[in-house]
Amino acid sequence: MVVSSGKMHPMHERLSLYIHRESVLHRLNPLTKLTLTFALILIAYLSPWYWTGSMLIAVVIAPLSFVGRVQREYAWAALRLLAPATGFIFVMQSFFLPGGQTELFRFAFLRLTSETLAQGYLTAIRIFVMVSAFILFLLTTHPSALMTDLTRRGLPSQLAYVIVSTLQIIPQMESKAQTIIAAQRSRGLDTEGTFLKRVRALVPLVGPLVFGSLVEVEERAIAIEARGFTSPRPKTFLHELPDTRTDKIIRWGLVFLVLLTLGANAWLS
Amino acid sequence: MALVTLENVTYRYPLTETPVLKGIHLSVEEGEFVAIIGPNGAGKSTLCYAISGFIPHFFKGELSGSVRVAGREVRETALSEWVTRVGLVFQNPFSQISGAKYTVYEEIAFGLENLGIPPEEMKARVEETLELTGIRSLAERSPYSLSGGQQQRVALASILVMRPRVLVLDEPTSQLDPIGAREVFGVIRAMSQKGMTVILVEHKIEWIAAFADRVIALHEGEILMEGTPDEVLTHSDLPARGFGVSRYTQTARAAAQQGLWPDSLPLPVTLEQAVEGFKTRNSSAP
Repeated sequence: MVVSSGKMHPMHERLSLYIHRESVLHRLNPLTKLTLTFALILIAYLSPWYWTGSMLIAVVIAPLSFVGRVQREYAWAALRLLAPATGFIFVMQSFFLPGGQTELFRFAFLRLTSETLAQGYLTAIRIFVMVSAFILFLLTTHPSALMTDLTRRGLPSQLAYVIVSTLQIIPQMESKAQTIIAAQRSRGLDTEGTFLKRVRALVPLVGPLVFGSLVEVEERAIAIEARGFTSPRPKTFLHELPDTRTDKIIRWGLVFLVLLTLGANAWLS
Repeated sequence: MALVTLENVTYRYPLTETPVLKGIHLSVEEGEFVAIIGPNGAGKSTLCYAISGFIPHFFKGELSGSVRVAGREVRETALSEWVTRVGLVFQNPFSQISGAKYTVYEEIAFGLENLGIPPEEMKARVEETLELTGIRSLAERSPYSLSGGQQQRVALASILVMRPRVLVLDEPTSQLDPIGAREVFGVIRAMSQKGMTVILVEHKIEWIAAFADRVIALHEGEILMEGTPDEVLTHSDLPARGFGVSRYTQTARAAAQQGLWPDSLPLPVTLEQAVEGFKTRNSSAP
């Protein structure tokens, strides 16, 4: 059993990016932030202007990470995870997209044109916006706050339960898998060597993990039934999640912006 | 009038031939502390499920006879209603953590959210339960970061906060270390002293002797005997039928065969009773 202090929640323990800070962004209603996330993505993909994605990152997403006081975590994720991935997409698209007239560079089978370069950058930056927006959302929104809010708005509580409990139980299963691996190794199971050998070694590991988990599922079902999960009475919520007028204005504003972008896209094409 | 009444309860799990419970008659008074003992496969857990409504609402199969709590019949009451009368805590602390909540405080409130209790009352009840179970210091921790004993107290608190009239515990300490077990027993005892009706399945015979008002010995789905802890726990029929027996009882029984136990005293269950007996014997010995 992992024992950790109450304040620290290492990510691997709960499979969540959430960083607890005091900020305007943290205080926004989860639905508002979810709307913002999707609005950013839609605008990046729909906008007819070439530099929209780059502008969104520079003018909206990066500044918002400071507003949410998660700029360091955001920068870390953007540079260490996202930049290499999107950089790879950029390079691949630039060199291997078919078509393109204006040749800039040619070496053996590699061919770079200004058209594929532009297209590669556009694709990469759109993916950058999409993942960035989600990272920012997840950094500032607690999964249970999101689910509570969506449940209140009519999401079935069973579905919310499945999502939140999965986020929590996967890390637990991972540590259980480690225990089983150690137990089987101590009985002489060889988990190293060639690929085939490793695949074969999986069999005695998966059995106990899967069957053990199935037994646990029944017990957990009993445990949550014992706490009235299927009660037909309308649920109440421990934490009040404020949904202010500002939230509503922001949401409608975002919807308006997306429609505007859609209109511009239709108008210009 | 008895709070819990079982009349001629027979139950068979789905797809099985032989019943696990056979004609059980049991009544438990309000505020009583009843312990259930029995070897593996005696039907102890099944009896717990029958009292707590999981039979017939969760486990299908064939139930006959009547299970009543506070005058209501289990078959005519929805499970989500029944759990507000009878609370169930079982062995595995880990699988009793809902997984839906990120702090102990929220975890305890989970049941009240499901029942639609207003937030103000919810907070008051959670606070009260945190005190009662001695886990105030854990309130902001993740339930998954706790030790087994702490998790089991959270599970217990999560049930107690719903204020059931009867608390059913199915081997609540069997997966805990001695310290964790003592903490959990401490809470159970405190609840009993506050007047809660407790039905406890337990292997730790010495704890039962110290806490229970009445002991029921279950064997192959039938009640073999029932009575006070001293009567039942030291009964000479138990070891041969696979029941756990206190080591002090075993010692004193072996000693009695050698004439080393005072005839005037019953066999002991706890260490204190054993010491008392040997003292008596030694002071009267020539």
